[in-house]
Amino acid sequence: MNRLTALLLGSAAAVAATAAPVSAQQKAPLSILRVIDADNYDPIRSTSTAAAEALYMLADTLVSVDFDMKTIKPGLAESWKVSPDGTTYTFKLRTDVKFCDGRPMTAEDVVYSLKRWTDPANKSPVSFRGGQVKDIRAEGDATVVYELKEPYSDLLFQIGLSFASVVDKNAVEKLGANFGVQGFNATGPYCWVKWTPRQELVMKKNPHYTWGPPIYKDPKPQIDEIVWKIIPESNTLMAAIQAKQADVTYYMPYIALDTMQRMPGMQVQRQDNYIYDIFMGFKVDKPVASEGVIREAVNMAVNKDAIAKAIFFGKGQTLPALLNASVLDFDKDAAAKMPKYDPAAAAKLLDAAGWKAGADGLREKDGKKATFTVYGIRNDVNPRITEAMQADLRKVGIDMKIQLWDATVAWGKLATQEFDAFVMAYPYVTATEALNLYFNSRQAPTPNRMNWKDAKTDEMLKAAATAVDADKRKQAIGAVQAQLTEANVWVPLVSQPLWVVSGDRVEGVRAHGVYGAGLYKGLDIKLKR
Amino acid sequence: MLRHTLQRLLLALPVLLGVLLLGFLLMQVVPTDPAQVRAGPTATQDIVEAIRRDLGLDQPLWKQFLIYVGRLLQGDLGVSIINNVPVVQELGNTIGPTLELMVASLIWAIPLGIAMGTVGAYFRGSILDRAIMAVSVAGVSLPVFFLGLALIWLLGFKYPLLPFTGRMGPFWTWDGFLAIILPAITLGGVFVGPVARMTRSSVLDVLGADHVRTARAKGLTERAVVMRHALRNALVPVVTLIGLQIGFLLGGAVVTETVFSWPGIGRLAVGAILSSDLPMAQGTIIVLSLGFILINLAVDVLYAVLDPRVRGA
Amino acid sequence: MSSVTQTLAKGQAESLPAPTTEDFIVRRPSVLRMLVSDVGACISLVLVVLVIAGAILAPWLAPSDPYGGDLANTLKAPGEMGLLGTDGQGRDMITRLLFGLRTTLLMGFASVVFGCALGGLVGFVAAYYTRVSGLLMRLMDVLLSFPAILFGLAIAAIFGPGLTAVIIALSIATVPLMARVVRGSAIVVLQQDYIESARSLGMSDARIIFKYLLPNCLSAIFVFVTLRFGQVILLGAALSFLGLGAQPPTAELGAMAADGRNFLFFAPHVSVLPSLVIFVVVLAFNVLGDALRDALDPKLRK
Repeated sequence: MNRLTALLLGSAAAVAATAAPVSAQQKAPLSILRVIDADNYDPIRSTSTAAAEALYMLADTLVSVDFDMKTIKPGLAESWKVSPDGTTYTFKLRTDVKFCDGRPMTAEDVVYSLKRWTDPANKSPVSFRGGQVKDIRAEGDATVVYELKEPYSDLLFQIGLSFASVVDKNAVEKLGANFGVQGFNATGPYCWVKWTPRQELVMKKNPHYTWGPPIYKDPKPQIDEIVWKIIPESNTLMAAIQAKQADVTYYMPYIALDTMQRMPGMQVQRQDNYIYDIFMGFKVDKPVASEGVIREAVNMAVNKDAIAKAIFFGKGQTLPALLNASVLDFDKDAAAKMPKYDPAAAAKLLDAAGWKAGADGLREKDGKKATFTVYGIRNDVNPRITEAMQADLRKVGIDMKIQLWDATVAWGKLATQEFDAFVMAYPYVTATEALNLYFNSRQAPTPNRMNWKDAKTDEMLKAAATAVDADKRKQAIGAVQAQLTEANVWVPLVSQPLWVVSGDRVEGVRAHGVYGAGLYKGLDIKLKR
Repeated sequence: MLRHTLQRLLLALPVLLGVLLLGFLLMQVVPTDPAQVRAGPTATQDIVEAIRRDLGLDQPLWKQFLIYVGRLLQGDLGVSIINNVPVVQELGNTIGPTLELMVASLIWAIPLGIAMGTVGAYFRGSILDRAIMAVSVAGVSLPVFFLGLALIWLLGFKYPLLPFTGRMGPFWTWDGFLAIILPAITLGGVFVGPVARMTRSSVLDVLGADHVRTARAKGLTERAVVMRHALRNALVPVVTLIGLQIGFLLGGAVVTETVFSWPGIGRLAVGAILSSDLPMAQGTIIVLSLGFILINLAVDVLYAVLDPRVRGA
Repeated sequence: MSSVTQTLAKGQAESLPAPTTEDFIVRRPSVLRMLVSDVGACISLVLVVLVIAGAILAPWLAPSDPYGGDLANTLKAPGEMGLLGTDGQGRDMITRLLFGLRTTLLMGFASVVFGCALGGLVGFVAAYYTRVSGLLMRLMDVLLSFPAILFGLAIAAIFGPGLTAVIIALSIATVPLMARVVRGSAIVVLQQDYIESARSLGMSDARIIFKYLLPNCLSAIFVFVTLRFGQVILLGAALSFLGLGAQPPTAELGAMAADGRNFLFFAPHVSVLPSLVIFVVVLAFNVLGDALRDALDPKLRK
């Protein structure tokens, strides 16, 4: 290091010292960086990961999800019982829970929140997740009964999602449409302070909180103030973490992870049981995408391993099957049916089916060109994934046109019938949930964007969802996996890994990742200075 | 003078109305369905329809526009369809930071540009003149985002001297001041060049004028001629240029605000248009266009002050 | 607003006093000579010619397929693979830059040509027919008050992001500026005696506009077009930065620079090289435009 650099660094340290006047008594807030903001923070009104990751800190659910993504642990409910016919769930509540404003939580609050979530009158886009509700009622001060019209094997997992958060009725009624926008009140480890859309969400410690889920060492929050900051430009985000202008992020560009790992004091950790899959789905009723041969050839021609390696800089994992191998009820036999990467065989398959290459190298059959349009969200990986697929498909004579949209408009675009295929990344907890969400004919046109309408699928999906017996459920949902794999409705691509990067001021960070929420409740995290 | 100002103000009204209509129509042809945006990715069709009714989007177009203008006249710009926040509130939150950024950019860029242009004209044809012109032309030839990222790389990352993750308070506080330096260099950087070039050519123009020749003939030094006679007259067109370039500056602000996560109106506008948040997009368009019109109005008036001949015209 | 228009017209008049027809014909060779005598302008002229040639000849000059990537060889540094390395898809940078240049110049030319044709028409009509002048120029003021970036965003939202949307947006953003420049210089020309005599000879409006007005405004138009070209390319790059430019796999310099920024701190060449090419192209056009302005303005001559 020459003298000039030393001088610069010296002055940098001086500037940094004056820029962030950290006194001994009060630690600077924990700053968590992310790239996009949520549309709002009302549990039942937003489906975004950006809302979920904050809501888990602001509010609690009856049950919690363990780090393995499979085990349900107590939350606001100490224990629960399921009736033998699988239609009645009885939750025994903790009695020491208080809202941020100090009011003790009662069974009525829980009933109110769950009804608010599942009542069709509230037009919640996530109400279906609550199942076919017959009645939700309180029995005494500390018991809630959740009664269904038919068994629903996913219910506990769904009740563990942020959509089923317990909120304060008074706050909801007082704030109306501004609940989760201008204010909030719930029983989470952290309390709402202020939200500035697209800028930051500030929360402070809930002083009463002692009821953290047992998956954490310490059930009490350790940090006085947390600021969730939006940094839309990922270079800026990366530089900010490196220059220690912020503490934690799980939106670090993959390219930077190795560098971060080498930096002294920087902690980089991976959550292996993270389920956030990227796939391409075909609209099976569109001219070219309706051809099973084309879909199969695409599944064979796309080099998924190369994509996982190059685009995620060695940090991604190829999806071997329709679903993530670590999800509950993953079916190995169905996974074996997934076509392997083999462009030559793909070309042969197309030849045999009458798709012959024209003068421009593009295949056609009966005057129909082998071309289709894919839609997707413009984020940091989709442009590169689709472009790589496009190059692979060109080699076998298929022309894939790409149209990516800004995150907010994309959902509107993805609801139309304008495209032939779409790429998407989605978080889920069980196989039954994922497949019921996407492949039930009732779910068309969204989220069943494939327009997949099949009586057998519907039947098996229902059988899985209403199964009381775990083995029967596994069997039914396994059959759906096999059927969909054989039909090549999806091109499974990459399982997005969750990497949490934290600076040297922080300790106790542990990657969770349910529904994309990398820090879940944010307990056990401490600031050293 | 007052009559002149009022006259200009009156002429700006139809322009503002035109902007309003154009903005509304543009947002109407955007084929994105706001109800779907609001409903989110997993919503079913009847939920979307219900939301559409709630938002009043099932009304005929003319009715929607009339309702909009009617509310606008009462100072009500509606609420965001994305998060229900009143548009006026969001505009109020973001105008300040953008103005701050613009002032911080112009406060060094304009004087520097004028100085560079004057020096260039004074030493016209010399190496110095050429160097100044080269620098100013180079400054306007670089993509704004590249300049911003290069600055982050150099002064935030390689030599971590300055913060770059957004506003940290008003610029008169030490934190706020430090945070605004990099964005202000980036945004001002695109402005120095045009000002320098305009000043130079304008000073050269004036140097050829009669009264300057007379001054020279009287035996004044070239320096005195430039400072006392040429510069003051030359500044008139420069002032106009600055007004016209405000639109360009707003464009640069949009990019700068994104690069530096600056909580300004440019970023708000981009987000609103991209997400088809019609009331919010309309609000930002009105404010940005109104800003442009008002600044040009101010330039007009200033122009009349500097150049009395205009007043009669 | 209107005196801003007047001011600009005046500014134009001051820096570009309209030459008479004879002047124009006589002066042309001397303009060329002046350009040649200016070193910066010379270099710029050569650069512009080279850049255009490179763009046209891209398919023959490029060493490889612009769309054929190799994911096993992504982000190779210059020299490590190919002369200028590879991009995020493992494509050769030289090839991408050549094809990118082609698209970018096409985008620039198309926007400037469409915008200037329409803007020129509006400008001439506004100058010649004083009755519609007020209305037309107010319309131009409306367009001018609409920041170009917002316009681009709205157009992209309507047509979907892509080159077409960028060209439409940049063309529309060029119209009011061109209209002002043309109107400004046309008004000055219209005050000349020969226009009066042409009118008194009973010449038709169209003939006067094409025979006298247009040729005498050409120098102002030419300067504007040259300078505008650079601005349009930069605006296009800004739109690409916001994700609205050319869609993959099309190579376009602005989109390449913007997309490549994801690797800026690790493989800077992917973003820096296209930015550098943009810089050189815009710089060349700007220097050329300045030189033209100087050459066409007798007052600035030594």
